Amino acid sequence: MLDVRGLDVLYGDVQVVWDLSFTVDAGEIVTLLGANGAGKSTTLKTISGLLRPRRGHILFDGVSLETVPPDRIVGMGVLQVPEGRRLWPGMTVLENLRLGAYPKGARGEEGASLEAVFSLFPVLAERRGQLAGTLSGGEQQMLAIGRALMARPRLLMLDEPSLGLAPKVIERIFEVIQDVSRRGVTVLLVEQNAHLALSVANRAYILETGHLVRAGAGSELLADADVRRAYLGV
Amino acid sequence: MLRRALDGGGVYLVLAGLLALVPLVNSDAYFVHILTLSLMHSALASSWNLICGYTGLFSFGHQAFFGLGAYVSSLMAMKAGLSPWLGLVVGGGVAAAAGFVIALPCLRLRAPPYIAIATLGFAEICRFTAMNLVGLTRGELGLWGIPEMTPVPVPGVGQVSFTGQRVPYFYLMLAIYVAMMALLYWLVRSPLGLALKSVRDSEDAAESLGVDIVRTKILIFVLSSFLAGVVGAFYAHYVLILTPSSVLSVGVMIEIVAMTLIGGLGTFLGPTVGAFGITLLLEYMRVLGDYRLLIYGALLIAIILFIPEGIAKRLLPRRVAL
Amino acid sequence: MSPGLVVEQIFNGLVSGAIYALMASGLSLIWGTLKMLNFAHGEFYMLGGFGVYFALLLGGLPPLVAVPVAMLGAAVVGMLLERLVIHPLLDKPGWDVSPIIATLGASILLQNLALHLWGERFKNIPYYIEGGVNLFGIRMAWQRVLIVAVTVVVIVVVVAALRRSRWGMALRATAQDRDAAVLAGIDVYAVYLWTLGLTAALAALAAAMLAPIYSINPWMGTALLLKAFIVCVLGGLGSLEGAILGGVLLGTTESLTVLLWSSEWKDVVAFVLLILVLWVRPAGLMGTREW
Ligand SMILES: Nc1ncnc2c1ncn2[C@@H]1O[C@H](COP(=O)(O)OP(=O)(O)OP(=O)(O)O)[C@@H](O)[C@H]1O
Ligand SMILES: [Mg+2]
Repeated sequence: MLDVRGLDVLYGDVQVVWDLSFTVDAGEIVTLLGANGAGKSTTLKTISGLLRPRRGHILFDGVSLETVPPDRIVGMGVLQVPEGRRLWPGMTVLENLRLGAYPKGARGEEGASLEAVFSLFPVLAERRGQLAGTLSGGEQQMLAIGRALMARPRLLMLDEPSLGLAPKVIERIFEVIQDVSRRGVTVLLVEQNAHLALSVANRAYILETGHLVRAGAGSELLADADVRRAYLGV
Repeated sequence: MLRRALDGGGVYLVLAGLLALVPLVNSDAYFVHILTLSLMHSALASSWNLICGYTGLFSFGHQAFFGLGAYVSSLMAMKAGLSPWLGLVVGGGVAAAAGFVIALPCLRLRAPPYIAIATLGFAEICRFTAMNLVGLTRGELGLWGIPEMTPVPVPGVGQVSFTGQRVPYFYLMLAIYVAMMALLYWLVRSPLGLALKSVRDSEDAAESLGVDIVRTKILIFVLSSFLAGVVGAFYAHYVLILTPSSVLSVGVMIEIVAMTLIGGLGTFLGPTVGAFGITLLLEYMRVLGDYRLLIYGALLIAIILFIPEGIAKRLLPRRVAL
Repeated sequence: MSPGLVVEQIFNGLVSGAIYALMASGLSLIWGTLKMLNFAHGEFYMLGGFGVYFALLLGGLPPLVAVPVAMLGAAVVGMLLERLVIHPLLDKPGWDVSPIIATLGASILLQNLALHLWGERFKNIPYYIEGGVNLFGIRMAWQRVLIVAVTVVVIVVVVAALRRSRWGMALRATAQDRDAAVLAGIDVYAVYLWTLGLTAALAALAAAMLAPIYSINPWMGTALLLKAFIVCVLGGLGSLEGAILGGVLLGTTESLTVLLWSSEWKDVVAFVLLILVLWVRPAGLMGTREW
């Protein structure tokens, strides 16, 4: 479904992603792992069209995304839940969700999507009138995921959804990710919490300072001694 | 040797020396007048560049200090018989005092537009006051009969009279400009200048380095106001007529901004390059008549679109433009 | 001084307050979405004045059509300005100062273009509604009543559209977090384009309503622009409610100054008010509120 080939990304003159290639097949959960500054968020931003690659291709269902405007990429069903949630703090929970259904293809199903999101995260239904900026960290992450789901994604990219959350909340978020995946949404998950990510992922890629260093099935990498030492702290 | 001297500010002295020779080559009154105006604009824009370019405070009320210097020096000369030479200092001093007063509330504001509008508000207060105090300033009718600079003895030349002369004014303005640029040159390299840079780049970082931000900013604001006031006083005793709209209107500020940004904000010679460019352009475009300002507007847009970093950096070697 | 005179002056203050609010809400919307000051905003106002003049007197259109035509014309110019001048500067270094020069240039250009095309003679148009009412000894010209009424209606519609419509929500989303808006599939460049169009139309409306009272000339936008900036900052940049509150506050303060002191000093009082408010509330009256 997603086919990234030979991607080079630069900020000004500084290259942070080097010749990166990976694929995500329909229905999979694929995770992209790496330490701080490895270039994970940069990769997601490039897929979403917020950054443009210097070289390489991003194919989504065979369509090249490198020159497609970001709003059209979203319209094609490629949704990102960005690092740090990035909600609209001055809008209510309901407004945030309703704007999630902004892409043309999702507008008609706004009501049904809303119900689906509320059943996944009942707490959002309770707090629908509250300003997003006043939600707790966990609630904000749920809202960010809910907002992306409102757009009826085909590929959902999550950037460190576990960041700064309590274990209980992380557990719930990961349940939802697996649930969403079961409903046929393809998932590309960026994480620093490698253990958790590998336990839910079909396949994984590991980035180090912008270079791809390992790839393999989730369970395989979870068992690998090198990976355990470097990323799992055991 | 030469290289070292040039790097240590010598190149600027050479440039100033070349400028000083110009009237010897061409002493046409109109030409010298345009050069004097260009230098005056250079000085004014450079004084604004000190606040905006080096400290990052977007003041939009610099005309207030220019105008205050002009009016104070003129009125002191006319009503109290103060020598215009002292007027240069007194005008600058009053402008500096006003700068201090307005800096206090303005520096509490962090967002650039708030600072811009608050300082603009202050300048408009000055303009309307000058317009309304008709008994003192004659309002929009214009204050005229401002005394010229009094004769001074110059070693090697003898007594120099300013009456009806262009060239002496040119050299006076050149002297003011060079003195001011020397001060700025030294300032930017001093510990204070380094503190300034850190304030511009990141207030939080500067604070953590122990830079007293508020004191530094007030000091710069006052200094910059003083310089603008001196230039204003010079203008008054050179042009000999003042109206609120010629020295206190937002149009003055717009020219300062245009000159500085087109030359290169935050560069040492940028405001000078911009001031010469725009002053010469506007003067020599007079042949275009009505089209002059039309073209000027279009040119501003074109320059910001195609040379956004300013022309100084394009035209001059990097270490000269700085 | 009769109480009737005071009420009459307060009403006149509301009239200028309405005009200030229309202008300032446009500036505030632009600041909110694009994070820039638009120094050509006064020229949208000027174009609105000429637009209504030509539509009325040359086109022979009734005011009810001429005013929207003028608004549309200004909106097109606003959108052209966005596409040709502002858009190329977006996302480039120097964005904090580059739009200032660009819009100053546009302002000088448009003013002198108007001067060139339409001359410096002041132009006047008749009142849309002649006469006035006399309520308990308080005289109010219908034209002034009309200004306040139209402004209130238009502002209510704009606020409602920003609150409820998909387009308005997209605009607010862009203002609050642009990247998030992009990631939600909002075409922020389209939002910028329409924002310029809308704010230009609001400025043109202000001019069209005021044109029968004052005259139309190439410089009519300059002084008002300064006032509108003050109103924006007074109310808190980016806040629509602040722009409205600030407009009314400034308008009434000015007309009460005229009544109690003198018309020459009303501007000084206005600017002193600005500095005092900023002293007490550095972010303006409603500056911290997100919208
Ligand atoms: N806007 C930017 N300008 C310049 N460099 C940047 C920018 N954003 C990120 N970088 C640099 O690019 C590199 C990769 O950053 P990126 O945010 O992609 O890392 P990451 O893998 O997501 O890290 P983290 O786990 O901390 O989120 C880092 O060295 C970072 O400093
Ligand atoms: Mg990241």
